[in-house]
Amino acid sequence: MKNLKYSWIAIFITILIFTGCSADFLNRPPVDAITDANFYKTDAEVMSATALLYNRVWFDYNDKASYEIGDFRGGTAFNPYNSLGYVKFNLTGDDPDMNAGWDAFFTVIGQSNLAIQNIKKYAGAAVTEPIKTEAIAEARFMRACAYRNLVMCWGPVPIIENNQTVLTDTTIARNTVQSIWRFLTAEMRACANDLPEKGYNVGRVTKWSAEGMLARFYLTRAGVESENGVRNQAFLDSAKYYSDRVIRLSGKSLLPDYASLFKYPYNNNSESLFELEWVYSTIWGVSNSAPAYLAFSPDIANGDGWGGAVGATWWMLQKYEGINAIGTTGDTLKGRTLDQRLHATFMLPGASYPEISQRITLPNGNDSIQRLIYPNNVTAQVSTVAIKKYICGKAADMGGQASSQHYPNDTYMLRLAEMYLIYAEAELGNQTQTSDGTAIAYFNTIHTRAGLGAIVKGFITADDIFNERIIEFSMEGMSMYDLSSLYYYNPTKALAILNSQDRGLFAVYPDVFPNPTQWTFIKTPWDNPNTTPDRLINAYDGNFYLPIPTTELAGSPNLLKPPVDYYNKSK
Amino acid sequence: MKRKINFLIALLLYGVCLVSAQQDFSVSGVVTDASDGSPLIGVSVQVKGAAKGTITDVAGKYSLNASIGTKLVFTFIGMQKQEIVVKNKIINVVLQTDSKMLGEVVAVGYGTVKRVDLTTAQTSVSAKEMEKTVNTTLEQALQGRAAGVYITQNSGQPGGGISVAIRGVSSLNGSTEPLYVIDGIQTPGEQVSYGTTSSANPLSGLNPSDIEDVQVLQGPSATALYGSRATNGVVLITTKRGKAGDSKITYNFSYSLQTPPERMDVMNLPQYAQMVNEFHSIVSGTSPQEFADPSILGNGTDWQKELFRNSAMIKHQISLSGGNDKTTYYLSTEYLNQDGVAAGSGFDRFGMRLNVDTKPRTWLKMGANTSFNQTFEKLSTSSEDIITNALQQTPQVPVRNLDGSYAGGDLINGASNYAPVNPVAIANLVTNNNTRRQFNGGANIDVDILPGLTFRTSLNGNINTQNSIYFSPLLKIGWYIHDPATMSDYNGVGTYYSLNELLQYVKQFGKHNIDLMVSHEVQESTYKGNGANETTFLTNDIIDLNAGDPSTATVTGGHNSWAMESYLGRFNYNYAEKYLISASVRSDGSSNFGQDNRWGTFPAISGAWRASKEPWFNVPVINELKLRLETGTTGNQGGSGIYSPMAAAPSQWGTGFLPSQYANPDLKWESTLTDNIGLNTSFFNNRIQFEADYYHKVTDNLLMQAALPAYMGTEGNGAPAAPTVNLGSLQNDGWAFTLITTNINTRDFKWESNFNISGFKTKILKFNNNAETLDRTSWWMQNWTQRSSVGQAPWLFLGYKTDGIFQSVDEINKSAVPVDAKGNRLPTDPADVWVGDVKYKDISGPNGKPDGKIDSYDLTAIGNPWPKAFGGFTNTFTYKGLELSILLTYSYGNDIYNYIKMIDSNPNEINIGRNLLVSAENYAKLATNANGEVYLTNPGTNLPRISYSNNGNWTRFSDRWVEDGSYIKVKNISLAYNIPSSLISKQKVIKSLRLMLSAQNLYTLTKYTGYDPEVGAYVGNNAASNNQAIGVDNGRYPLTAVYTFNIMVNF
Repeated sequence: MKNLKYSWIAIFITILIFTGCSADFLNRPPVDAITDANFYKTDAEVMSATALLYNRVWFDYNDKASYEIGDFRGGTAFNPYNSLGYVKFNLTGDDPDMNAGWDAFFTVIGQSNLAIQNIKKYAGAAVTEPIKTEAIAEARFMRACAYRNLVMCWGPVPIIENNQTVLTDTTIARNTVQSIWRFLTAEMRACANDLPEKGYNVGRVTKWSAEGMLARFYLTRAGVESENGVRNQAFLDSAKYYSDRVIRLSGKSLLPDYASLFKYPYNNNSESLFELEWVYSTIWGVSNSAPAYLAFSPDIANGDGWGGAVGATWWMLQKYEGINAIGTTGDTLKGRTLDQRLHATFMLPGASYPEISQRITLPNGNDSIQRLIYPNNVTAQVSTVAIKKYICGKAADMGGQASSQHYPNDTYMLRLAEMYLIYAEAELGNQTQTSDGTAIAYFNTIHTRAGLGAIVKGFITADDIFNERIIEFSMEGMSMYDLSSLYYYNPTKALAILNSQDRGLFAVYPDVFPNPTQWTFIKTPWDNPNTTPDRLINAYDGNFYLPIPTTELAGSPNLLKPPVDYYNKSK
Repeated sequence: MKRKINFLIALLLYGVCLVSAQQDFSVSGVVTDASDGSPLIGVSVQVKGAAKGTITDVAGKYSLNASIGTKLVFTFIGMQKQEIVVKNKIINVVLQTDSKMLGEVVAVGYGTVKRVDLTTAQTSVSAKEMEKTVNTTLEQALQGRAAGVYITQNSGQPGGGISVAIRGVSSLNGSTEPLYVIDGIQTPGEQVSYGTTSSANPLSGLNPSDIEDVQVLQGPSATALYGSRATNGVVLITTKRGKAGDSKITYNFSYSLQTPPERMDVMNLPQYAQMVNEFHSIVSGTSPQEFADPSILGNGTDWQKELFRNSAMIKHQISLSGGNDKTTYYLSTEYLNQDGVAAGSGFDRFGMRLNVDTKPRTWLKMGANTSFNQTFEKLSTSSEDIITNALQQTPQVPVRNLDGSYAGGDLINGASNYAPVNPVAIANLVTNNNTRRQFNGGANIDVDILPGLTFRTSLNGNINTQNSIYFSPLLKIGWYIHDPATMSDYNGVGTYYSLNELLQYVKQFGKHNIDLMVSHEVQESTYKGNGANETTFLTNDIIDLNAGDPSTATVTGGHNSWAMESYLGRFNYNYAEKYLISASVRSDGSSNFGQDNRWGTFPAISGAWRASKEPWFNVPVINELKLRLETGTTGNQGGSGIYSPMAAAPSQWGTGFLPSQYANPDLKWESTLTDNIGLNTSFFNNRIQFEADYYHKVTDNLLMQAALPAYMGTEGNGAPAAPTVNLGSLQNDGWAFTLITTNINTRDFKWESNFNISGFKTKILKFNNNAETLDRTSWWMQNWTQRSSVGQAPWLFLGYKTDGIFQSVDEINKSAVPVDAKGNRLPTDPADVWVGDVKYKDISGPNGKPDGKIDSYDLTAIGNPWPKAFGGFTNTFTYKGLELSILLTYSYGNDIYNYIKMIDSNPNEINIGRNLLVSAENYAKLATNANGEVYLTNPGTNLPRISYSNNGNWTRFSDRWVEDGSYIKVKNISLAYNIPSSLISKQKVIKSLRLMLSAQNLYTLTKYTGYDPEVGAYVGNNAASNNQAIGVDNGRYPLTAVYTFNIMVNF
């Protein structure tokens, strides 16, 4: 009985000891990550909070949607078997790649907004004012770029400047195209004001990136605010003003050789104004994955190389000087071009690329490596003019910095060459042709860099500039945006161009192999416009813009409400 | 000991001789255990009404003198008492385990009660029932045996995961899994997590043979005692413990043969070639030359035959239990090895357990449970989509080339680079292994302080480790090249402990019975994981990071912890076991919530009235009539969500950071209020027992990640995750019936049945923001979507309703058709909408009325994954030593989206080298009549024409692929034979021997056209717990027939 009494007491003590843990016991912030409120305390932390706005958030767009929307849909390249919604211009709201693009742009916007809000809210006393200004301007820059792509692909979309305040608001309406463009130029002007001439690191956007982007925005906005097909002259002048400033004052310069723009390593070269800053890492989402789907064979890739069916369209190829129709049926092209951009953008059979190694199978069955000859050292005839731009080869060709779907080479978002063509186009403006000396000189700068002779006719036209842009920026995800820009002030012409594009199959025959001197292109007879809708598409008002993703519409019927003016919601 | 017994027997025999002069005569016999036929030692045998008796000896034999007409009473602890009238000289008796006796004590949360005193809804499954089926994991053993518990086997993969939903859909955050309490250790039922190990089953470490008893706590009064973790129900598992008496050694061996599934009817090579030719003749393109005359082709590769195989499962189990009146023990060891019927899958487990209880002093009891287990899972079949690929791989590709290497689509075999990669090769070459090791241990001390007052303290914990290795070697299979080899190696360590102090006071004052319990509990767990990735391995044979190129290495980390503190108490009172009342309350403080919302309180109260105990109750056939009423609150604490952690990733300028989630510091508990009414009855000496329950549950402040539109920027790579929010409320109404009967009970033959049926109806009441719907989209299945809408059941399939195939241009012009991006009707032409396209139903429009357009307003619920009723039906026939048991499981009224059939019926897929179902040949075929009108030559078909038209024939999800998933499955038939003790007793070593043959998943009666209607939730690579597709069949690993031979020996 005595034992019992002692145990009584012992137990009481035990209970007292264990009853009521300290308050900290239940206070458990994450131990493997810093939380937002404890971050943004130094200049380095603030700048590290905008670093991933240059890669990760853009990943899902860059992955496939960038070239599917920009080039397949725009008619410069195609895949006859996959991505058909883009090639045939009949995309539905269920397309996963298109949805990924939509998601990515809004992710850029969401993370940019968070960066802006968090820096304002949490930046500590140790953060210097210029750094705060620069970081916030970077985020605004990214947000504006994402909105520019959104509005040009989908038309009206909702503008969100602070996700946290509207996170569960299901009444948000889209904003009108006009007010989005007003927002874009206003934002980019602020960026041009706030960004330094030299960024915190090489490759970060600068005042010149913003002014360059402003030139692009104003040129497009001139079309948005056009009246009866006449572009707004004030905005054309602004585009001219800013493009000229960037050409003359930014300190940037064109690379002398076009091909070297895409020969690794080329990141952050003197021509670059803004690029997605990919890194080689096995972590998903920070490397460039697009080469995986564009490289024509695993023989030149790293376990990927799934782009065997992706190639230039007939329409694209006949734009190159020197490749001309022969005969009267229109189904044969022949020739060669001095335009070095073809070799740097697409691979014709027999073309060689010493910077890329290629695995080949020798007659004895063993594997061997050679310097790339497209498609290999045996086959001469091909039915695909494969993609070269951004394809940099195997890991061995890139200092070991590559693996399947993980490439370190950057994606250009804005390069100086565009400034020259923007100036020319802005100067041309609403005229049918221009003889302006600077415009012609700038145009010729780009034209001659490619190995072509200067234009000698004494004037340039809108078509000259359009074709130059198509060739210069082919496979940089641009052609559909160019058409979208045109559509703002001349929808008839934009649709006519789309509906004239031959997107059908053809075969290519080199005259000798390897090292051919010219090629013959013949449309594949059974892929005939008279019997199938394959070669030509039907673009019209109803399918010019991309459909809003079905799941998005189904979950957010508010997106079906008529768009409202962002600055005057009642309008 | 033995000598003592012998002496006793001798004494008795002597006694028998002495009294032989009386009129009595000698009666003898053997008493055996019904469960395994083993002799029972120490059974008391008494002549009723006389002071005469004996006990059985080591062979279970007894003998005593009794006169004809008197009754012998056989009693033994834990067995049902039997009385037998003396007629013959030999009376052999089989005693039944006392599981259904009303005096039985059952486990409840933090204690035990007499079954008759239960005031709450609770179902039990005993070891004996579970042993009848072939179970590799615990949840399999429960299927069909407990009313109210909806179990679907998500995958037939060995050791694969199972979904358990107790009483309906209790949460929208994906986790409806109950809390498992294994000998006091609380383990929340985990769900899948994104990645290559997503199909692994976290509960697979527990050996079902070690389980003595499972109690499924369903009523709020029972579950509320587990407070914030109990909303999904609680499964209390008690493992086996030793019994006082002679030690018992049992060896159990089983061999199972698992068989391949029934073949799905996909095309052979001539059919495939024919289809390729037809495709090219319609869409353009050239067919391979060798397809010119399909009739001369061989059958090609039957990929299902190549992938699936007969495979074996073996299990060895040995256990030792026993003890004396002070100390008892149970020791067991198990080894299980299961190969999968599909290549690339397998499971094995090694485990041991030691449970010890001792009572060193009259006032002191101590107990300990320790167990260790190791499981090894091969997961490639699920992670690499092997089964889908086997169904879709073209028959023109052989498994192996002539030189013995694996074959694939290349110039020789002809298949394009869109054809799947050789699934047999991938299954055999890609390594995806998951090894878990788990140590569970616990100790408890009970001190009797005063009469009726007990203090118990228990410390339980576990340490578990996980290692998963994913290795994809350097591969060159046809056009497919995986170069270089890649590997990831992940290690994680988790710890958990709980410390509980409990004071209990039990007292009887006359007819008043009081049981009062108060307790304090602390729980804490931590998890830490490290992953390493590397590429460029020179050899495919050494699967280790040392064999790769160190310059390619990358690592990941991760670390978290969780803690909870709780106070709880319960008061049970009954008057003469007639009026019963139970009240409990628990208060939990969880680290998942911020300061202001940290604590949640969960009260419950229940009462029962045993009408059969009333003096006026005089219905002789009714032995028990109990009415129960209960109400109570349970909670759910979800995961963390009050912080916004910054996620790191590399940039060109060093590590960059982005917020990984929107924080919600105001997060609070999810709470569920349940009302339950129940009835327990038994008739005719308990030969018929009937139990019924009806419940109404309302869950409020549903915890889950907010479902935001993608334009909020939470969907893409690098996006901040949507915040965790208290989203809304839902309700469940449900019912459950159990009928247990002894249909025939003669001396030699017995027929017993157990039938249970239950159903639930879940309805979403509201969302806290002004949204009316919540979508769950599977991006890996072309954005297949399930929707939760206010007023409806959760996760209904979203799609279009259809009305056959357009037969004429005229019909198109009169019907609603899809619209372009501007909302204008698509033109009637072959590129847009044409004869042979799917005709959609115009359900609604912007004004809620059909508007002549097919657009997102016409998306509607096209299927419901939840059953209207489900359950199981067990029949057991016993004849002498033979026992035949048949278990049927069934589900009624649930829909399945047959995604794999949709893909494999799409004739356009032939263009990218995918095989199709034979039925795909019947696609709509167009022709033009004399008037130039287009018509269908096969007007009865339900498959659209070959085209990439804008009508979205194959991209819009529609009711065309929704099938009725109702089924009745012969889950198990087993025939067991206990070798008669008369044969056994001829030798001394073996005490009993039981042989069993069984067949599992023998036959399924269903209208479903896929492999198996038991589809469950998607567990593939891309599944995450908040995004697990339910009721969609995308090449799920099927459950197939398993034949088992089992032998159990007692030494």
